[in-house]
Amino acid sequence: MARGRLRIYLGAAPGVGKTYAMLDEGHRRRSRGTDVVVGYVETHGRVHTIARSRDLEIIARASVDYRGQAFEEMDVDAILRRRPQVALIDELAHTNVPGGRHEKRWQDIDEILAAGIDVISTVNIQHLESLNDVIENITDVKQRETVPDVFVRGADQVELVDMTPEALRSRMVHGNVYAADKVDAALGNFFRPGNLGALRELALLWMADKVDDALQEYRERNNISRTWETRERVAVTLTGAPGGDNLIRRASRMAQRLRAELVGVHVVASDGLSRRAGPELGAHVELLGELGGRYVEVVGDDVAKSLVQAARAENATQIMLGASRRTWWGELSRGSVVNAVVRSAGPGIDVHVISTAAGAVEAPLVLRRTRFALAPLPARRTRIAYALAVIGLPLLTVLLAHLRSHVGIESALPAYLLLVVAIAATGGLVPAVVSAIVGFLLLNWYFAPPYNTLTIANTRDVLALVSFLVVSGVVSGFVDLAARRRADATRAHGEARALAAMAVTVLRDPDPLPSLVQQLASAFALDGVAVLTHANEDAPWIAEACGGVSPPQGPQDATMTLDLGDGSILAIKGAGLRAEDRQLLTGFATQLAVASQGVRLQREASNAATLARTDELRSALLQAVSHDLRTPLASIRAAATSLLSDDVEWDRHTSRDLLEMIDEEAERLNRMVANLLDMSRLQTGAVHVHAVSVALDEVVGAAMSSLHVAPDRVEIEIEIADSLPRVPADAVLLERAVANLIENALKYSPSDVRIDAREDPALHELELRVIDHGPGIAPTVRDRAFLPFQRLGDQINGTGVGLGLAVAKGFVEACGGRIAIVDTPGGGCTVTITLPIGAS
Amino acid sequence: MSRVLCVDDEPQLLRALATNLRARAYEVDLATSGEQALELAGRNRPDAVLLDLGLPGISGMDVIDGLRGWTNVPIIVLSARQDETDKIAALDAGANDYVSKPFGMGELLARLRAVLRVDAPSAVAPLVVTDAFTLDLVDRRARSASGEIHLTPTEWQLVEVLVRASGRLVTGRQLLKQVWGPAYHDETNYLRVHMANVRRKLEPTPSRPRYFLTDPGIGYRFIE
Repeated sequence: MARGRLRIYLGAAPGVGKTYAMLDEGHRRRSRGTDVVVGYVETHGRVHTIARSRDLEIIARASVDYRGQAFEEMDVDAILRRRPQVALIDELAHTNVPGGRHEKRWQDIDEILAAGIDVISTVNIQHLESLNDVIENITDVKQRETVPDVFVRGADQVELVDMTPEALRSRMVHGNVYAADKVDAALGNFFRPGNLGALRELALLWMADKVDDALQEYRERNNISRTWETRERVAVTLTGAPGGDNLIRRASRMAQRLRAELVGVHVVASDGLSRRAGPELGAHVELLGELGGRYVEVVGDDVAKSLVQAARAENATQIMLGASRRTWWGELSRGSVVNAVVRSAGPGIDVHVISTAAGAVEAPLVLRRTRFALAPLPARRTRIAYALAVIGLPLLTVLLAHLRSHVGIESALPAYLLLVVAIAATGGLVPAVVSAIVGFLLLNWYFAPPYNTLTIANTRDVLALVSFLVVSGVVSGFVDLAARRRADATRAHGEARALAAMAVTVLRDPDPLPSLVQQLASAFALDGVAVLTHANEDAPWIAEACGGVSPPQGPQDATMTLDLGDGSILAIKGAGLRAEDRQLLTGFATQLAVASQGVRLQREASNAATLARTDELRSALLQAVSHDLRTPLASIRAAATSLLSDDVEWDRHTSRDLLEMIDEEAERLNRMVANLLDMSRLQTGAVHVHAVSVALDEVVGAAMSSLHVAPDRVEIEIEIADSLPRVPADAVLLERAVANLIENALKYSPSDVRIDAREDPALHELELRVIDHGPGIAPTVRDRAFLPFQRLGDQINGTGVGLGLAVAKGFVEACGGRIAIVDTPGGGCTVTITLPIGAS
Repeated sequence: MSRVLCVDDEPQLLRALATNLRARAYEVDLATSGEQALELAGRNRPDAVLLDLGLPGISGMDVIDGLRGWTNVPIIVLSARQDETDKIAALDAGANDYVSKPFGMGELLARLRAVLRVDAPSAVAPLVVTDAFTLDLVDRRARSASGEIHLTPTEWQLVEVLVRASGRLVTGRQLLKQVWGPAYHDETNYLRVHMANVRRKLEPTPSRPRYFLTDPGIGYRFIE
């Protein structure tokens, strides 16, 4: 029986219309007379999707019992019994409830295909195994439901269902994807435009690869093999160490791009003991299999050599291995695998070293500082040298004394000399000289006749012993010098690194001074460093930046000062700085001078920017006052002068109308002036909060009556349960904030405003929403909406100075709450006030 | 009977205007946006337009441009803005006069009457008589209570233009063009000097003019 054909609709994100496309295809095939059934469709309650699936035959789902709960799963047996030509099965990546015949749905589908039934299915890009880690990085969401790439790539047809992020987001806002109450959260989390864009890019790239595959298949089928005659292989090393899964995924992606085969190589020690496999080897081998790779195990003691041999045997052109995490000592004693692989790989094989997740941590930068011409060797090495002397000298003496009959002083001398030189190489001059003297005495006692006395009978022996002492001393001196030079070179290297790090700091850090000074203090192990400045000769010194334990307060505290120009100095406190240190410090000082000048210029620039902003605000205020405050005044004056004019006799009704107009407009003017005053109180920080426990329904009621909204003139729907907990807030401020929001909403959406509130028990917060169905506020200008005098264009149908939202934000924040603007699903603007419920 | 189109985005002000104009037997059309104004002007052919500059959608300036494309209907700009440049731009674009918000109803009605008078050519009599002086436009003679006043030809031309536009604003540019010729439009200094002379000769208190008023930076008008 021929295997069924698999067609997959691939989407970048939920909601792009995969299920709908699948159902569409089902309808199309049915209209051609094909026997189509729905094996499993997840409609997520989406109206269009439900409508599209209704007239197809649906196989009832099986109910599966798991831990006392009933779950609905696809009924594989029923589909196999029904034997349709085509089965539509949604959500390829779904994980079945434990206890079913397969763990994953794709395995179910595999079985259905094997029975000769064609399957049409859907999957989202984030469920593909090879992209799992990339997508986790993008979305911060770990996808547990994954499908092996081989299965999806093996499908007869993969069709991309594409939609731009903007279109998808607007579909969501219109409620086509999720229920309205979930939309806000979804748009803010997974469905961020950045996320969607990245996912879409991945989907398109993956698809492009698949298209290439099809092309290659065509070439192969038609014997157009010239271009692809060599199939490349990528060898990835498996150690089983944590973090290796990232390496395998990287290798898999590389293999796909190169159209190469993936081979995982693990090297086992020949005795099976000396090198243990990492704890995750099993999981890595499984992952390798899911990504379509082949596993190879080779036996060998030299990891690098075995690895390269295996790669050659597999004809691999690329080797990928994780960066070494061996320490310096480890590499010295056991060698660096990475280096060895690079050396032995030779031409024809590229070696890629990938840093794994738990990568190396930058070692802290510390320079050793000394008062001597050359650095002393570390105390640890001196101790080892003394130990060598204490153990080595007696041992050598006992050994040689036993052989005294065969070995003369002339043979014993070089042996002692060798030991002394070894001690010098390890511990430097002092231990070497001490051991040379001890050696001299031992030789004299045991080997220079007369034995066991310190007297020497033979002149020849005297000469030999004295030359031993001199040679030991001289050689030790040279060895010691060499060792110290080396230590010095290391130190110079460190200093160079310090300077380089500093240069980078100056380039990257917006305010580099503090970190530079800190680096300086730690690099030279100083007591304290400070950049000091003073306005004139008599003014006190002010520290621009300090570092170290006790930074100097003025030049009088410092051991050394360096001029940085522009009236600032670098003051350094620390005992005994060497000449070389001073030279290096001058280098640092130059960097610091540049940095401090940069900081000063930046400060001036930001001052200028602040001034410009203040100016902008001031002119916006002037414009607002001239336009907006004049508007109600114009009506008042027009009505008042009408009443005053002598040439017309006003009837009772008209004069009442004009008087009401004066009253209403005066009230409006009053609210604007109140907002202006509130704004200046907020800006000068003169708002005092008297927090009491308030109920939201009372606050909204008071806000409504303060607006003098005639109940019959507008339709405002208020839905606030009086069972909601009270919040600690300033009732007056909160009422003013809410009133401003309602006034705004009424302005843009005069006939359809809704106010509601709900409790979020998890976050212990209350959320009050003022919802309108007006034109809404574009997301790009939403941040500016809360700034004063930003009524988003001066020409807008204007009541209010553009202060309403700014004042509301100020007051809500003064009460400890938050305020935000979101889209109203279906169009319009929703402003939410979130207030903490508080401890009680 | 005259038909007046009022354009303002403030419903309250529009209501006050309508009440007043109807009480004085004008026919009134009301528009709250520029688009609506252009449509109503095309349909009802108003005799004058009161136009707010700060409108939602297309601006008051656009409305002036739109109207001037096909009609010379007098336009009085109602502007809440103190910004002189806006007013000058509106006048340059073809508005006839302006009133600053907040305005008194009497002032607005007087301006409206003045612009409506333009269409009647014989509105200005050849003899202008005020409390302070008498002007004979035909014989070019001016006299006051103290006797004959001599005006130079340029001063006569200035006075004549302003008096014929009695009550209406004449911009500095229009005055220069009409008196000195089209090449002169930026020489506002000429105007200032000659207007000072006119005032010294005709006004009872030249430092506080009563008849020849200045709209600083914009133009002059003659008030009877």
